[in-house]
Amino acid sequence: MKMKAMCIAAVLAAVSVALVAVPAWTQSSAPPLKIGWLAALTGPNSTPGIGQDRGIRYAADQINKAGGVMGRKIEIVSRDTQGDPTKAVNAALEMINNDKVEFTIGPTNSGECLATQPVIARYKVPSFPIGVVDSLIDTVKFPYSFRVSNNNTQWQESVLNYALKVLKAKKIGIIGDTTGYGTMSVNLSEQLLKAQGGVSITYKGEVEANQTDVMADLRKAQSSGAEVMVVWTDSAGLNSRLMNARAELNWNVPFVGHPVLGAGAVKPLLAKPENWKNVFNVGYRPMSFDDNGKLPEKSQKFVETVSSAGVKLDDTMLWWVGLGVDTIQLIKDTVEAAKSSKADDVKRMLEAGKTFNGVYCTSCAYSPTNHNGYPTDDVVMNRADSFRAGAYAIAPGYGK
Amino acid sequence: MLVTILVAGIAIGAIYAMIGLSYNMMYSTSKVVSFTPGQLGMIGAVFGAWFIGVLEVPLWLGFLGAMGVAVVYGFFTELVAVRPVLKSIEQHLYVLTTLAAALMIQQVVAIWWGTDPRPFPTLFGLGAGLASEKYWLPVVACFLAFIGLELFYRKTLWGAAFIAVAEDAEASRALGILDVRIRVVSYCLAGFIGALAGFMGGQLLLAFFALGATLTFYGFVPIAMGGIGSNRGALIGGFFLGILQQAANYFVGGVFVGVVTFAVFITVLLLVPRGLFGSAVARRV
Repeated sequence: MKMKAMCIAAVLAAVSVALVAVPAWTQSSAPPLKIGWLAALTGPNSTPGIGQDRGIRYAADQINKAGGVMGRKIEIVSRDTQGDPTKAVNAALEMINNDKVEFTIGPTNSGECLATQPVIARYKVPSFPIGVVDSLIDTVKFPYSFRVSNNNTQWQESVLNYALKVLKAKKIGIIGDTTGYGTMSVNLSEQLLKAQGGVSITYKGEVEANQTDVMADLRKAQSSGAEVMVVWTDSAGLNSRLMNARAELNWNVPFVGHPVLGAGAVKPLLAKPENWKNVFNVGYRPMSFDDNGKLPEKSQKFVETVSSAGVKLDDTMLWWVGLGVDTIQLIKDTVEAAKSSKADDVKRMLEAGKTFNGVYCTSCAYSPTNHNGYPTDDVVMNRADSFRAGAYAIAPGYGK
Repeated sequence: MLVTILVAGIAIGAIYAMIGLSYNMMYSTSKVVSFTPGQLGMIGAVFGAWFIGVLEVPLWLGFLGAMGVAVVYGFFTELVAVRPVLKSIEQHLYVLTTLAAALMIQQVVAIWWGTDPRPFPTLFGLGAGLASEKYWLPVVACFLAFIGLELFYRKTLWGAAFIAVAEDAEASRALGILDVRIRVVSYCLAGFIGALAGFMGGQLLLAFFALGATLTFYGFVPIAMGGIGSNRGALIGGFFLGILQQAANYFVGGVFVGVVTFAVFITVLLLVPRGLFGSAVARRV
């Protein structure tokens, strides 16, 4: 009996020693690293969110399988905002106050981000909004916000550089829809072109996204002598109407502009498949096929890895999935480098200027005065009619 | 350029006019301004595209199928959204009930059909450029609907019964006319005409779940300008609106289309409060 009691005491002592010896963060009781994920997963604006969701969940799973972040499992706290800014704000407040998330990612469009950014900033939670509107990132107003994706100015610069330097156009037409985004983008293009000098804007127009016929608008643009049409609308219907009208006018002017010019929803709306020729949409160099039809080596490896893990890529954009993966990986790397998930430590570490080499954001770097991480050189034009396996072919003129 | 504006304006104006006729058809027998005619146009476009483009049924069968869905929806509207509130029509509860019926069908279609616009098939493949069928089919359909309604009202017993109920439902009931049945038929007929607008204009509109809101909005302007209850007013108001929109878009820019449209709309209503073809109605005091 005495022997048995001694054995039990020895075992208990050994367990106690083991528990004390192992660092606290490696114990199973380590709290999870909660990351709030605000995404439009249903509704009209849900397509990007669904793609990004796959990347975020894949990355979190992989990291958790490998032991987590300093022993803490990543827990994705997800809320479907349905593209509604009010729902996004409520969801952000709920996940910050009730779920105590330490980071937020999203929302997944600019309209929602404009609503949530001030709210999230008030609670000093490091956030990674996914939207292109430039004002979403402001180191004074939103000091804990960092963008992994590009901003609108980068899209604009890429589009206008292509029109002027590759297509060598001197007379530019600009057309967009009458939404806030469309109008803002048309005006920004006009400003940037005027600043360039040596270029004339021969046509500038805004049409309603649901306008049934755009022949008159394109005739006007044609008669103005435009050599390139810069197109800013995220409406697949309007984009296809513009391409169909261009074909009816037998006017083979290049269309250069918004990513939706190459969206899958455009294809069935075209009167003829060839109406999609000579159309170039904004894309990303790491996620584009080269002239030989190959992705960059790192991206190809990524495709193989995520596909073998069962992540669907054929019905989404590769860069959406890559953005999700990169954001989670960036959070992991930053927390580990800072040895802390506290907001001020994370901010300090991100602003230290260390370059993060992701699959989509291949050289992501921030500074105290710049919280936009995406490299402008990687924003390139794609051939709109070249979509396959989640990616596009790079437009002619970029070389290898 | 003027020809392009006119052709496109007349085509879209014909669609608005047909939606206006649908409004009038419902209003005539119930005195209810229903919010559903635009959704009927959406049904014509979406179900036309589904039957002909997706299921690949013959054109005539696809047409009947799309019209059939809209007729059933018209019947549903009368049964669920109009009949229960007619007893207290002065309270304008139909604003809520018909709006609810409109939102309901829009959401159902969005879930089933998807939220991206989808193509509407070419119906006959006639004409090209500005002579393309997509421009003249809605115009032909609009005139056929207008003439058909005129003949129906003037030459048939059912038409006479419609006019009787429209003039005075109580008196017509005293004469043995089943006003409820007439009202049901009028909502079904309105379903047909509204869906005809979406089907014949489908190549311009595309098969898109959100069409309903736009058509409800712009389809109401012609009848308000032309005089509610007046088919002639709807016809002229529709064409006027279509051409005005195209011209405003071209000359002053797309951002100002709504401003110009409503400036003209308000001006007309200030000058002629009952609309261009509206008639004064005696009111019991």
